[in-house]
Order: sequence, then C-alpha cells, then structure tokens
Amino acid sequence: MTVGADSEAIRGAPIVEQIAAARRALTLRFRLTFVFVWLVIILGIGLALAVADAWDWEFAFRSGPIIVLQGAGITLLLSVASIIGATILAVLGAIGRLSSNPVAYAVASFYVSLIRGTPLLVQIYLIYFALPQLGIVLPAIPAGILALSLNYGAYMTEIFRAGIQAVPRGQREAAQALGMPERLYMRRIVLPQAVRIVIPAIGNDFVAMLKDSALVSTITVHETLFLAQRLGRSTFEPVTALLIAALVYWALTIIFSVFQERLERRMARGDQ
Amino acid sequence: MDKMRSLAILPIAMLVLAACQAGDGGGGPAATGGTGDGAVCDSGELDGQLAAVCEAGVLVVSTDPAYPPQSFLNEDTGEYEGFDIDVANEIANRLGVDVEFTDPTFDAVVAGNWSGRWDVSVGSVTVTEERKEVLDFTQPYYYTPAQMAALADSDVTGVEDLAGQTVCVGEQTTYLFWIDGTLSLPAEAGEIAAVPEGMQATTLPTDIDCAEAWKSGRTDDFQGWLTALPTAQGAIDNDYPVTLIGDPVFFEPLAVAFDKSVEDNDSLVAAVDEIIGQMHEDGTLTSLSEEWYEGLDYTTQE
Repeated sequence: MTVGADSEAIRGAPIVEQIAAARRALTLRFRLTFVFVWLVIILGIGLALAVADAWDWEFAFRSGPIIVLQGAGITLLLSVASIIGATILAVLGAIGRLSSNPVAYAVASFYVSLIRGTPLLVQIYLIYFALPQLGIVLPAIPAGILALSLNYGAYMTEIFRAGIQAVPRGQREAAQALGMPERLYMRRIVLPQAVRIVIPAIGNDFVAMLKDSALVSTITVHETLFLAQRLGRSTFEPVTALLIAALVYWALTIIFSVFQERLERRMARGDQ
Repeated sequence: MDKMRSLAILPIAMLVLAACQAGDGGGGPAATGGTGDGAVCDSGELDGQLAAVCEAGVLVVSTDPAYPPQSFLNEDTGEYEGFDIDVANEIANRLGVDVEFTDPTFDAVVAGNWSGRWDVSVGSVTVTEERKEVLDFTQPYYYTPAQMAALADSDVTGVEDLAGQTVCVGEQTTYLFWIDGTLSLPAEAGEIAAVPEGMQATTLPTDIDCAEAWKSGRTDDFQGWLTALPTAQGAIDNDYPVTLIGDPVFFEPLAVAFDKSVEDNDSLVAAVDEIIGQMHEDGTLTSLSEEWYEGLDYTTQE
C-alpha cells in the first residue's frame, strides 16, 4: 500500500519523517471516512424522507425563514438570558451549600431539592399560571427565562459546589496566613479557579438549555418549536415543520459546540 | 466590585429586551384598532372590566393559530389570520381599542382562571353547561357541525359502525365530551345524536394531530376522528386520507368566552355581547363567514 503521491521522496528521508508522513495519511483517511459516513447517513435520511413524501419544499421555502429567523432568535435569547440567570443563581446556591451559616445552607439546599425534584414543564406552568395568582404577572418570555434559570441554576449549583471544593484547601490556609478576609479569598482565589473547572459543564448545560427551551412553547412564547407547530398545522405540513425545527436546534448546538471547544482549549492552555 | 455590578445588570437588560420582544414579535398586535366613530370606549360612563380594557387601550385575545381557516399563521409572514382573528379585530375595533393576540393551549382556555393573562377568548369555544361554571359567554357568533370522519379506504360508512371502536379527538374538546357522554349544550343548540355503544376516545393536543397520525401511517390506533366540519374538510382538501361519515352528530354554538373569576367582568361581557349582536344584524359576521368558509354562512343555525 502506498502512503501518498510523494512516497518516493519520503522513502529516502529519515525514519522519523517517514513515520510522521504515514501518521498524517492515516489522519487524513480517518477524516475523509468520517465525512463520507456522515454524507451517506444524511443522504439516506433525505432519500427516506423523499420516498415517504414527508418533506414539502414549498412549505420549507415559504415558512422556513420565519421559523429559522424569528424562532431561532427567540430560542437563542431564551437560552443566553437563562444561562446567565442560572449561573448567577448557581454561584449563590453553591456558596449557600458550602456555607457554615445554617440559614444559608438550608435555603440553598431547599432550592436545589425542590427544583431538582420537580419536572421543568411543571415549573414552567407554575410560573406562568400560579405566580399571577399571587399578583406577579410576568410576560411570557421573562416567565420562561425565570423558569429555565431556576431549573438550570439548581443543577449548576451542584456543579459549582464541586468546582469550589476542587480548589485545594491549602490555599485557604495560605490566604488566612496572609490575613485575607473570607470574602476576598472567595472572590480572588477560589472563584477564578472554580470558573475554569466548571466552564465545560456550563457549556454542556447551555447545549441542553437550547433544547429544553422548546418547553417554553407551551406558555405562548413564539420560539422555534411554537412557530413550527403552529405554521405546520396551519398549512397541513406538520412533519416538514417539525423537521425544520429539528434542523434549527441541531444547527444551533453544532455552532455552539465549536465555540465551546475553542473556549475549553483556551482554558486548558492556562493550566500548562 | 464594579465588574460584579455590571454583570448583574446583564440579565436585567435581557429581561427588558425580552419584555419588548413579547410586545412586538411575541404577542404581535395584528390590528390597528380604534376608529373613534361610535366606539364603545368613547361613550362616556364605563365601569368594571370594560373601563379597565378601555383604559389599557388593548384587548388581549387568546386564540390557537392551529385551526385553519378559523385561526392560523400566514405561511409567508407568520402573522395571525382567519375567521376568529377577523372577528376579534372587529370586536376590538368597535370597542375602540387595539388587539393583542396570545396563544395558550385550548385546555388552558376552557379551564378558566386565566390569571389575567388575557381578557377574552375569541377561539371558537363551544358553549357548554360545564364551561359556564368557569367561563362567561356572549351569544354565539357562529355554529359549526361536529362531523365524524374515518380513514379514507376503511370499511366505516356510518357513525354506528364505530361502536366499540376508538375515536380520536382534540384535548378537552366538546367532541371528547360527546364520546364520554358528558356533553351538555344549551337547549337552543338542538338535538345531539346518540353515542354508539362502546365507543372510546383517545386524545391528541389538537384536532389536526388526529388526521396527521393517519397520514403518517399510524392507522391502527383509532378508527374515527370527530372534529368540526371545516377542520375535517380542510384536511380532505389538503390530501389527508380522510373521509366524512354520516350526518353531523351535533351542532355547536361557538361564542366569545370570558374568565368568570375576574371581578366586575359583567360590563365587558355585556359590551362584547352587544357588539356580537350588531355584527349579526349588519351582516358583518355573515360576510366574514362566507369569506373564510368558501361561501358558506355558518353564523345562523339551520
């Protein structure tokens, strides 16, 4: 088996270079196969849809842009606002969970227990329908953001707690020896290190949030799934509409995963 | 500390942005109301909820845009369209306020206790005795026949063939109540056909989902589909494998609905009821029905 087009030139080269070239060829072959397999699967799915006559191009061209532009815009807005809200709640929650103050510990533990013990959909409905009974009428989008923030905040609280605990205890003693107050030690020493540890986890949660935001379609928010369902039913093309919604979520997660990978690589560089 | 503070401002800015979105893109005010001429809101002495709506200048209307041709989203622009939408716009116009649409699920509408999230439902809600306990209704603005349908190439030729079979209906619809034997329409709605022995209901979130299940090949789950005649006809017109079975099983009066738990709602109910009466008299409803239902006038009960 030949290694490549310029194998003649390489044969005379030192063994190290020969091995490097062989490795490059292997990598290339791996990547080409990867792309090829993806194309085959995508073509297969496309063919199956065409045979089943499930995909309607006319609907895709007419209503697709509304789902993609307006729907994905609201989905992104929901996800970004909620991950920010969730991060803030998680920092507070984690500090509470690690606190020696019994009240702070109890409040934080109650929050995590209640939210993790109830379905997100129930929380969304309660914030939309039950809060107004107490006189708090949030518009649909802020209600959705609040529900997603509270929900993810609880899960991320545990992640942040682990991140904070991962900072070696010796550093606390060192800080105390320097006379550093507890709050300053938390902000300057612990949090910067903890953040680096939890960044990949936040990224994962953001990808999950992008998809869970679809649940907010049940409380009248015109996000991707809402528009896809209503436009699909309006035009008797629900399957095409759902497929477009699936593609929107998939594309958003792929785009974000690329960013996440870069961010993680940069964070990792700091460790070296 | 400064960094922390600016971080805290971010979500607040996001919320403000989101609230704006809810007003523009999300809620989508579809009509510019308020032609001053003879509008109810300009008539001086107002009280209760009517005064509150006039004060706000906006009537928040619930509709589910999944039911063409009553209420749906335009496939090019994504804006609200349909018979219910035009009726809602005209009601707001005659009140002298703007319209803002919101889209809760149907079961949330008929459950009552709207928490003030919307003022009124112009969403083809059937008047039933049970719903009257949580909702206030105006006089009907139109009537639709409840039509049984079956899979196009099935052996079912009459409603009685579906005895002992399963029929698909939308969640919390009158069609579900009919099969369950709990449907009680007001006396003026006319006769209700008997339910065939042993007929069972299965529900999906909205009526159209039943036809979609058949189209997708899910043909064994249920043998019949009970829905409004225009909805069934719409499915047939769009090449769904559906056929109409027998005469309508009942005619349902559809009216504008209000949340009964809202205090001082009487003034608003009375004002809208009067507007519906006017729209019947001056032919507005008839021409809207003929426009959206291919020349058919559903606004009177034959």
